[in-house]
Amino acid sequence: MLENFSFRTIVEYLPLFGQGLVTTVWLSAISFVGALLVGIALCAMNLQRGWLFRAPAKAYIDAVRATPLLAQLYFLYFGLPRLGFVLPELVVGILALSLNSGAYIAEIIRAGILSIPRGQVEASVASGMTYTQRMRLVVLPQAFKVTIPPLLGQAIVLVKDSALLSLISVAELTRAGQLLASDRFMPAEGFLTIAAFYLLLYYGLKALAGLSGRWLGTAGART
Amino acid sequence: MTKAGMTQPGLTKTGMIDFRDVNKWFGALNVLRDITLSVEPREVVVVCGPSGSGKSTLIRCINGLETIKDGHLIVDGQRVGDPATNMTQLRTEIGFVFQSFNLYPHKTALENVTLAPIHVRKIPRAEAEQAGRELLAKVGLADKVNAYPAQLSGGQQQRVAIARCLGMRPKIMLFDEPTSALDPEMISEVLDVMVAVAEEGMTMMVVTHEMGFARKVAQRVVFMDAGAIVESGTPDEFFSHPKTDRSRAFLSKILRH
Ligand SMILES: Nc1ncnc2c1ncn2[C@@H]1O[C@H](COP(=O)(O)OP(=O)(O)O)[C@@H](O)[C@H]1O
Ligand SMILES: [Mg+2]
Repeated sequence: MLENFSFRTIVEYLPLFGQGLVTTVWLSAISFVGALLVGIALCAMNLQRGWLFRAPAKAYIDAVRATPLLAQLYFLYFGLPRLGFVLPELVVGILALSLNSGAYIAEIIRAGILSIPRGQVEASVASGMTYTQRMRLVVLPQAFKVTIPPLLGQAIVLVKDSALLSLISVAELTRAGQLLASDRFMPAEGFLTIAAFYLLLYYGLKALAGLSGRWLGTAGART
Repeated sequence: MTKAGMTQPGLTKTGMIDFRDVNKWFGALNVLRDITLSVEPREVVVVCGPSGSGKSTLIRCINGLETIKDGHLIVDGQRVGDPATNMTQLRTEIGFVFQSFNLYPHKTALENVTLAPIHVRKIPRAEAEQAGRELLAKVGLADKVNAYPAQLSGGQQQRVAIARCLGMRPKIMLFDEPTSALDPEMISEVLDVMVAVAEEGMTMMVVTHEMGFARKVAQRVVFMDAGAIVESGTPDEFFSHPKTDRSRAFLSKILRH
């Protein structure tokens, strides 16, 4: 098999892979920011005392975690137009990734906040701080440190999940591999190349996690 | 044999802290039973009793860390638990020292002391820092101003915690077993600071089994058992002539160590 392996074709297709890589990077970045916003909102709802906000947040998080991302993606891709929202594939893809990762991020942030010992919260309550002051001055600065490594872990997951967007014909990295595979009947070349690029992205994010871990004085991300 | 400060329910005069027939339950457990106790301004009251007798719960009710089920609790003239009472405001007048220090680990000693004065009391930063340095010097930690809690011993952390409360210029200081988590050689450095605070006229309620401290500065010792105040008297009365079997049993246990 290896004697037939065509490096020439890979080189020929490099510009396409390059474009796919760039698309994967920026759509993942936008989706991650979206996921952070979704996660923060869900977590804020989930930390409320009353069930009015908590129940829907919990139901949403469970629903997302219990169902395959592919099903969620198709749900949006085929469902939104029926509701009258005809959006470009790319937008649907970013939406799906943000909404999906947001549910996981909500739990990461919640774990970070709950990791702050009760005693510190009590000390800030006893000193007359309001809820907002307590969060801003005591809880969040510490929770932030705890959440950085798992958040980067989630970013790695998101990058890999973005491969599914190839199924709704978003021209990202996996799509580039598919094109090479189907145009030239070279699946080995196509998919090994994208695997190499994903590995590159993985090491990039892992290095970032390691750096932030050292910078924050905590252990690096477990991925 | 005076019961200094013991106010009868229904009396119009109120102390700095005034419990009247207070009851509290945790589920089916009656943790506070018909508590009536009045602490006068500048008075130091030591609370002791076996583990689980409700001492922590008692003092945690005063600043609303726990809520009471029935009865009245009036602190600095304000009714705790009344919707009309601004608890956040009332808490600024009450310092609380925890057994486990509960310093903010991401803040230096000075930042621990100045955080609430700056953000809650709205004191200008420079002024709060000046006061914070003076307080840290007063508790013997002038050289630890920029140290983080993890770099301090237990005794030093507890002294920072006391300075953190004093930074708010409170009217009342509550202590929940402030020396129980400390190695023996560090206990006296913390007690010395507490004695100094008491001698400046602070109104204090101190949950502790430190008899030396009680004899030195307390006007009154209150003995709790199973959620009720069983006995109350001067330190001398209580430690030398305990009146009940339960207090005698308790004292014989703490004296043996
Ligand atoms: N949050 C809580 N929920 C249920 N029970 C509690 C809680 N806090 C304390 N208790 C119970 O209330 C009783 C009194 O506790 P506490 O006030 O901490 O006693 P002490 O400080 O005298 O050791 C104990 O039996 C304890 O187990
Ligand atoms: Mg206790």
